[in-house]
Order: sequence, then C-alpha cells, then structure tokens
Amino acid sequence: MTDLIPMGPLGTPDPARATHGALTLTENTALMLIAVATRPGTPAPHPLGLHLPGPGLWSQGQGAAAFWTGPGQWMIETDVPDHAERLRDAIRSAPGARLTEQSDGWICVEVTSDAGAAPIRALLERLVNLSPDQVAPGHATRTLLHHLGCIVIRRGEDHLAVLAPRSAAGSLWHLLSETASRQVPVATV
Amino acid sequence: MSRLDLSQSRDALIDRNRPLSFTFDGRPYQGFAGDTLASALMANGVQLVGRSFKYHRPRGIFSAGSEEPNALVTLRSGARAEPNTRATMVELFDGLEAGSQNHVGGLKHDLMAVNDLAAPFLSAGFYYKTFMWPRAFWEKLYEPAIRRAAGLGKLSMQADPDSYDRGYLHPDLLVIGAGAAGLMAALTAARAGAEVVLADEDARMGGRLLAEGGLLDGAPATQWVAQVLDELAALPNVRLMPRTTVFGVYDHGIYGAVERVSDHLPTPGTRVRQTLWRITAKRAIMATGATERHIPFADNDRPGVLLSGSLRAYANRWGVTPQARATDPVLIFTNNDDGHRTAQSLLARGVPLAGVVDSRSGARSLGEYTTHAGAMVTGTKGRHGLRRVQIRTADGRDSWIPCGVLGVAGGWNPNVQLASHHRGRPVWDRERLTFLPGPDGPAGLIPAGAACGHGSTIAALADGRRAAQTALAQLDRTATAPALPQAEEEPSAIAALWHVPGKRRAWVDLQNDVTVKDIKLSHQENMRSVEHMKRWTTLGMATDQGKTSNVTALAVMAELTGNGIARTGTTVFRPPYTPVALSVLGGGDTGANFRPRRLTPTHHWAEANGATFVEVGQWMRAQWYAQSGETHWRQSVDREARAVRSAVGLCDVTTLGKIDVQGPDAATFLDRIYANTISTLKPGRVRYGLMLREDGFVYDDGTCACLGDGHYVVTTTTGNAGLVFQRMEFARQCLWPELDVTLISTTDAWAQIAVAGPKSRALLERVVDGVDLSNDAFPFMACAALTVCGGLPARLFRISFSGELAYELAVPARYGHALMERLMERGADLGVTPYGTEALAVLRIEKGHAAGAELNGQTTAAMLGLGRMVSAKKDAIGAVMSRREGLAGDSRRLVGLQPVDPAGKLPAGAHLFAEGVAQGLATDEGWITSACYSPHVESYIALGFLDRGDQRLGEVIRCANPLEGQDIPARVVPAHFVDPEGGRLRD
Amino acid sequence: MLIPHPLLGLRDAQEFTYLGDAALLNRPDPAAGEAAFADYVYLRDNPASVHRELWFHEQGDRSWLVVTRNTLTHEILGAELARDVKLGGTA
Repeated sequence: MTDLIPMGPLGTPDPARATHGALTLTENTALMLIAVATRPGTPAPHPLGLHLPGPGLWSQGQGAAAFWTGPGQWMIETDVPDHAERLRDAIRSAPGARLTEQSDGWICVEVTSDAGAAPIRALLERLVNLSPDQVAPGHATRTLLHHLGCIVIRRGEDHLAVLAPRSAAGSLWHLLSETASRQVPVATV
Repeated sequence: MSRLDLSQSRDALIDRNRPLSFTFDGRPYQGFAGDTLASALMANGVQLVGRSFKYHRPRGIFSAGSEEPNALVTLRSGARAEPNTRATMVELFDGLEAGSQNHVGGLKHDLMAVNDLAAPFLSAGFYYKTFMWPRAFWEKLYEPAIRRAAGLGKLSMQADPDSYDRGYLHPDLLVIGAGAAGLMAALTAARAGAEVVLADEDARMGGRLLAEGGLLDGAPATQWVAQVLDELAALPNVRLMPRTTVFGVYDHGIYGAVERVSDHLPTPGTRVRQTLWRITAKRAIMATGATERHIPFADNDRPGVLLSGSLRAYANRWGVTPQARATDPVLIFTNNDDGHRTAQSLLARGVPLAGVVDSRSGARSLGEYTTHAGAMVTGTKGRHGLRRVQIRTADGRDSWIPCGVLGVAGGWNPNVQLASHHRGRPVWDRERLTFLPGPDGPAGLIPAGAACGHGSTIAALADGRRAAQTALAQLDRTATAPALPQAEEEPSAIAALWHVPGKRRAWVDLQNDVTVKDIKLSHQENMRSVEHMKRWTTLGMATDQGKTSNVTALAVMAELTGNGIARTGTTVFRPPYTPVALSVLGGGDTGANFRPRRLTPTHHWAEANGATFVEVGQWMRAQWYAQSGETHWRQSVDREARAVRSAVGLCDVTTLGKIDVQGPDAATFLDRIYANTISTLKPGRVRYGLMLREDGFVYDDGTCACLGDGHYVVTTTTGNAGLVFQRMEFARQCLWPELDVTLISTTDAWAQIAVAGPKSRALLERVVDGVDLSNDAFPFMACAALTVCGGLPARLFRISFSGELAYELAVPARYGHALMERLMERGADLGVTPYGTEALAVLRIEKGHAAGAELNGQTTAAMLGLGRMVSAKKDAIGAVMSRREGLAGDSRRLVGLQPVDPAGKLPAGAHLFAEGVAQGLATDEGWITSACYSPHVESYIALGFLDRGDQRLGEVIRCANPLEGQDIPARVVPAHFVDPEGGRLRD
Repeated sequence: MLIPHPLLGLRDAQEFTYLGDAALLNRPDPAAGEAAFADYVYLRDNPASVHRELWFHEQGDRSWLVVTRNTLTHEILGAELARDVKLGGTA
C-alpha cells in the first residue's frame, strides 16, 4: 500500500457536506467509477450480472449501479472496493468490452431531501434545462449545469447525484450549494 | 389629495390599514399597500413626474401599465439605484426612494427646458443633419453633448450588489397574461390535467378585470378572479407566476421570462432579485391583452393628460384620480364607446366630470354628463399641469373648458408583439381599426382575448376558453369546458380619428418627443416606409418601444402617403417586450464564478507555495513560483528555467488533454487521425503525433503512447483538448464508423507531473517501485505502467518538452498533491524546483518546440520543419490537401532569432524584413511567433516563420513593430537554442 | 431551438455544437485527388429551405447527429445518428 495520502477533489481531507433547508449535499468520495465501452450495436455486457441500461437511464444492481453515457458506453458505479475489482475482471474478460478507470476523473455530490421529491424537483428546475421526465427517478444523463458539463443521476424521488469533471469540483460545489441555498423558503414580508 | 373617499372606492385593491412611506425627489409622501408608485404619486396630487427626452417638456403619468412612456424614475439609491423604471410598474414598499430624471436643476425649473425653444432645430433626423462635420467631432464633442442633453436616467456606476438566478420550466401549456382570457384559458387547461404555467407581468393577477369595476355573475369581477386564482393555486399541475414578464418567443416553443422576485421589497435580503426563466412549452396562449392608444392634438403632452382606460384603472383599482386638486374636473376625449365607460366609472365614484368630447357626430352620453358630439380637443394650457382644454365643437366654434385631467381614448391596440417575434406580420382589421396577430406567427403560440381583438370581457373569457381547448386538442387531451361567468355587454363602436389636424406640435411618441410634424417632415424627406420613419424620427425606439405610439404614427404616415394602414404595415417587433436587465440575462454567475474554473490536482499545493496563477482556457495554471527576495516575475522564471537545465524541475501538466483510445482498429484509426504513422508503434513506446486539418494546415500536436495491443493514450494541447476530442469523435462516427474503436476522455482522472532536467532520472529512481530506469531499460520515448511510492499504480512516459532528460509521471488524480510533496521532499538534495507555465514556455522556445503561437491555423508541417512527418504511404485527415501547390510551395520556415544587440528585446508579433528594403506588405517575409528572455542564451531569443528561413542562417534581418516604432536587427539562427543534436534528452 | 435526439428525445440546442452541411460525411476517396478534396473542404450548398446538417451533442452523449432543418422556418424535420446514416450509405 502506498503511503501517499489522497486528497478529495475539493482539496479537503474529509468529504464536504452542507445542509440548506430540506436539502443536504454530500460529497461522495467512496464512489468508484469504471467506464465500459463496446462496439455500438453489439449486445451490452452483463459484468457480474449487472444490467447496463439503455439511453438516458440508470439502473441499480447488487453492490453496483450503472448508467448509459453514449451509444455502446456506460459508467459503472460502486463503493465496494473488492466488488470494483471483480467488476473490472469481469469487464476485461467480456468479449469486445473495454474498460477505462474513471474513479479519479469525477467529483460526485449526492443531494438528498428530507421533505420528499418537491425540493429535489425545485432544485432541478434551477439547474438543468431538462423536462421532469428526463430527470425522473431511474434516469441519468449528461447535460449542462449552467456552463458546466455534468452527469445528473436521479437515484430516487428524494435523491439526486451530480457528477462533474474532478477539476471543476469547486465550481460544481459552488453552484450546487448556491442554488440549493436559494431554495430555502424565506419568511414572506 | 386625489385619493377617492372610502365611500367611493371601498372595493379598491389597496389596503388602507397598511400605510407606506416613500419619498419622491426627496419629499416624503404616503401610500398604501397595493399601490404602485404611480398611483401613490397621484394620491398625493403629484402630477409632474419627469422631463421629456429631447425638449425637456414637463411630463406626467400617462398610463397604468408597462406601456408607460413618461413616468420614468430612478428607483433606490447608491449601488441599487436603477434608472428608467416605470413608476406604473413599481410596487410601493415602505421606505421607497424615487427621483425624477432628465433635468438640470430642479424638476420644476429644468434649465434644459431651453431645448423646447430650440425645437425647430431638433426636428426629425436632426442628428443626421446637424452633427455631420467635422468627423473628428463625432465621438469627442457631439456624442457626449447629445447624451448629456437628451438622455434618460444615469447609472450608479457601482457594482450590482444583488444576485440573480435562472431556471427552466417545461409545461404543457404556458399562458401569457392573467386577464379574463388568460385566467379562463388556464382554468380550462388546468381542469383537463395539463401542466400549466400562468405568467403575468403584474404583481396582481386579473388584468383589466381589476381595472374595469365590472360585474361577473352579478358580483364584482375581482371576486371571480380571486375564486379562479384560489382554484388554480390549489392544483398541483399549475404554477402561478405573477411579476413575471414573458419577453421573447424563441424557436420551437421556447419562451424567455423574467420573474421580479424581490423588486417589490426594500432589499432582496437572502433572495435573488430576479430570475431568468427559460420556458419550453408544448403550446402557449398569448393572452397579453391590449394597450390603449391616444389621439395626438396640440400640446397633448401636459401632465394631467393620460389614457382614458388608465384613468379608469386608477379610479377603480387604486381609488385615485390624477388631478392636482380633487375638485378639478375631469374631461374625456374619445373617438369610441370606451371613453364613455371611463366617464361612467368616474361618475359612479363621484369624480367631478367636465364631460366627454367625442369626435363622432352622432355620439350620445351613457350617463349624467355632457357629451360634445363631433367635437375635438385642439389645445391645452397649464405650465406644470393641465388647467384648461380647448375644444372645437361640431359647428367650428372654439371654447376653453377648465379641467385638471384629460383622459384620451383612441381605441385599443392588441398586444401582438410576441406573435410577431418570428417574422409574424400583424394584419389590419378594418372593422376594429386595429392590427391583429397574423396567421404566420410562432408555431404553437395561440393568441386569445383582447390580444386578438376580443376585447370585451365576455368575448375575452370565451376566447380564452376556446384557445385552451384548441391547445388541448393539439396535445391530444380532452377537456370539459368550464362554464363562462355572466358578464355585461360592452359597446365598442369606433370611428377613425388618428390625430387632430392643426399647426401646433402634437405629440405622437411622448418618450422620444416625436410629433405629427416630425412624421410629416419624414414623409417630405422621403423617409416613408415605417422602418425608415422609425429611424429618421427615432419614433418607438426607447424603453417603451412605441407601445402607445407606433400604430398612431403609421396611421399618420398612411394618411400622408395615401397607401392605407394595411399596406403601410408595422415595424418589426423583436424581443424583449419590455426592458430586461443585463444582470438577469447573465443568470447570476459573476466574478470568479462567471464560468467554471478547472483546478489542477496540485492547485492547493501551488497556492501554498507562492504560485501566481494564469487562466488557460478554463484551467488555472501556476505561472511561476515566486521565492522570497524575488521582486520581478522574470527573476522567478529565469531561476526556474535554469533549475531545469541544471538540476530537476517539476511542472503540473495535467491540463494536457488525454484521450483513451481502445479497440482492435485503434491503430488504423490513429493512422487516419495523425499525419504520421502510428500503427508501427510498439507497446511501451511513445511517438510525437501531428494532426492536420482536412484543408492541410496543422491542427494540433501531442504524443501518442501505446499501452498495449489496441490501447493507446493520446495527448493534446491544453487549449485544444475538447476540440480534438470532438474531431476524433467526428472521424469515428461520421467518417469511419466501420472501425471498431472507442474514445474516452481521461484528462481529469490522472494527475500528470513533468519531471525534467539532468537529475530527473535520479529523482524518479527514488519514487518508482523497483523499475530499472537506465537509458537502456527505459530509453527516450519509452512508456510503462508501473507503481510508485509503495504500490500506487502509475504511468511513466519518457518525453521531453524542454530538451532535457525528462519524464511525465501520471498517478490517479487524488494522489497528485501528495506525489508533488513527495517529489519535492525526495529531490531536495538534487535542487528540485517547481516551475510554472512561463518557465515551461521559455524552455520550449529555447528548444524550438512549436506551441499555440506556432500552431495558429496558418502553418503547414513543412513550415515547422516537420514536412517529412506527413506520410505519403497512407490516407490521413489533411494529407491530400497538404500536398496541394499553394501549401506545399510555402517557403517560410521556422527559425530562431537573436537580437544583434545582446541587450535588445524582440517583440512577439513583429514582422520580418530583409535589411535595407522599404517595409510593406510586398516585402514582408514572415513574423515572430514567440519571444522570451533566455537565461540559457543570456539574451532575448525568438521563434518565427521566415521566408526560406532554413537557407538564411546567419543573415541579419529586421524585426519591425511599427505600432511601437520598433525596427530591431536580429540574426537568423537554428530554431534549437539548446542542444541542437538532441543528446541531452536521449542520454 | 430543440433538437430531437434519436436516442434521448428533445434536447435544448445549447447542449449541441453545430458543424454544418452533412455533406461532410462524404469524404472523398484519397485517390480522388485534390480537386475532389477542394470541393469537399470548401464548397457547401446554402439552401434557403430544407438542409441536412451536422450537430454534435457535446454536452450530452457526444453523438454526432444529422439534423434535417428548414433554414427559413427553423422547423426540424428529423434527426438521425450520423453513424447510422454513414453506415446505411444514405448520406
């Protein structure tokens, strides 16, 4: 094991966390990301039985989840290191499948609501120019957040994840926390 | 005071229990919650609120809505001061400060009022006629003088302290306007289950229903409005957006809207001030209502003259009338039945009425007041406010009627602007004497109610329902139609009267001070098309965009040309419908957050170690690391460059684009992307790669490392990372989709640090885990996947940008910071030195490596001395065109330049000439691309392209920079100032 | 504008970058020589009507699309994956 100490994308030793009203933002530093690609038009692999979903979709399996990133391309997420290693082996042995390690390429911020779907929906309205059905639970898509290219995953009615290129972590955190803080209702005058 | 008694206006939509204090021009006043600044000023008897644009004439409130041409005020003070706000749209809040504009000295005694005496010289087109010569005066004299004299409010010139937001909505139906038609449309669609957004520019929804004082189902219409709004507010599929102006229609059902979130509050507090909404709607209903027009007559611009329908609105909605004294009688001038409705409303509220002047000969009173049928208003008196009105009766007699207010009713213009945003041309309706939305308006936008000529309450309600049913049917939804409330009949007969003939000035456009005379002059000077007239007279060009003047003006022009109004047509309406602040269009991201910033993995380390940063695209890169005692950046840069040449330096090069290329056809694919051959590259080796554009010029360069069979990593320059990826995807998807290859960007995943200098191997040997880095085992252009620092997976590339023995070491990005620290620590005794982009540039210029300045889209491979890299044995992007005569024949070559005077400087961008020639385009032989001080050469050096440069080594040429009067002799030398044989990087 | 992405549905044009005439799919055979390439690189039709053009879903799935658009009205008549167009030989 290396003795080098890793640093999070925000330059902080511990994952960042902030609460704005019903919304809590948490940096997910445990997430490992593995990009999988196949020749477009060939059947999708099923590494360890994980279902790789169709365009615009996200699907959760045992110990891992996956979302579509382009024709013949997916990203697999897991926060279990051993499972990640087994997944990598499974991808390497799947015919025609290519693996690219992306764990260090992204910052992932989990946004959860303790008041159901409404605060998440309100936040999404201020973040992305997508219709509610394009960001409904079970959907994931790459899109623009303000001027930043991001991946938006709706993990549940009250749960959203946003991935941005690691180098833009500060910008993502700023725009998410700023936007979330504006959703906190102000007492009417 | 002109607030009506409680007994006369119990139903007014103001809260008399909530008095609010405000100031206007420093004087304190009181109003009530529910007031606008305009209604509150009226309640306090303030008639004079501003000075006109050009002639500085006294002006008063003219309307009750967003069409207001006169009552422009500066709201708030300090950094929040906002000029040109319409008093009619400003909701009163406690402590509001407002000030009048466009006067020198006091509002009552404006010194610029002398402009009015100079009116004969300020007629249509005077800018074009007067300020022609001399040309040198345009910017220095004429423009500042004109701007000072004729202007609107002044900017605070301070930074905007407020924040702004943006948002996106995707309803089935957007209803624009919440008057009778809009409410009925929203109700119909909402009950059918459609996702509905209802937006209205007013703080209070209801539109004209709030202003008419009429009955619906036998009760005040405001009650019906409240019921409908309650029902809509309770539905989960409806979003009510008051204070929201839909300002533009864009392609494919996209609408721009601004929500004024906290403009009605003293300060926004923690809220945003405004939100920009981008609304993508499957269908939209344009229920934008209508704007009343006036009838120009002599001296019709005095304070106290206003639109009749607005007068009615003030009385009914706010319980105010605009006289200076409550006892001053009110006169109405009309050419249609609607003027009589105002008379009825005022009578019902006990307002003293001087009568109705109706231009129609058969006109009759609709109540207990005098009607002067067949009469016209021909003049006014009153210096700062109306005192008397002159009328000419049907039999030609003139008389003066004392009055404090004159309401003018010239008919209603449907607000067709939004329907005209896609080249849609309004069509003239002869019967209604109005323009209606044309059939060629934006797809999916359905006009309804008064906006398409159905102006009476009963017609607007029915038409709103009809429009919603149309929209729902188009969206395959069925709707049961809600019942329409019972409404009274409203007479609406009208007879054309576009202006009262006369010799004195009669204003058409109050905001721009354009009179009937100006239009006549425009006609006389052959500026007859409406578009020419607009530009010649400036009619309809300011903040109100001619909402109260356009149609009247073109009717006057039609009269002059005899072409008729239908053929004359309107000018083109463009977004925005009403003014939009630039801050809200910016969407809220300002300063450092104006755009995303990308930080390298060692950013925080660099910050802690004294780095100065520079923006490179979105990236922030360390430019140099100043040490204590260094007072000039050159000291730091020279030291860093020397350290690389003599010991070892570290530079974060994560920003270079990295693209993972995999698949059985990867090598074939890369052969077509790069001008040189990649397919012969063996695993564990790196090759320099040159990309051309399809037109044959050089596009980008970088390295290509083969990590294994069918697996490559391509690097690009920092600035081109995104574009190269896009081009490679183009090649993969559009040119050769039959190749089995996939591309993934991994720029952010790896922290990559350049370790450069004669001691770089010694340093790396201390961190890699048991790998032989000797020259034999790991030669120049080798690469390997290995581990460092006790098992951390890494990639090592032996490549050099500086010309020294050098490597690039990549580790997972999260370890970049720690790796930098470790390399600094382990290399301390070797003299390890971090270096920034400036030293990087010095080193590469010394080595003659091309970078952005050389790869500027005008250079060929041959010019760079890389002509032989373009393989003739295979096809590649740009290969064919690079061989065409014009490109292959370009004889300019990359050379080095050194000033003849060792102390001399060479400026980048200077052009190159032979000695003794007359310098000009014909004798131009090239230019300097990059220049710097070289600590290695100990003088300035430069790279440049010089005609036949490869054959002119040793020649002295001139580097000319005529912009700064520079003409510097320089000697042509090889482009390699360091180690031309390349021994250092290979040993 | 809204681009009807064949896989992802209607997406705002802000997510896309524009390249131009879909004739860029028809890269000449290298043996066709300079003249054919000069045509390919420099000559474009600029119709005031229906136009087939290339859009890149840069801030999305990075698909290249062939979009059929009426340049007079901005009406979009259809969109296909450029890859399918090229493989189907209908460019």
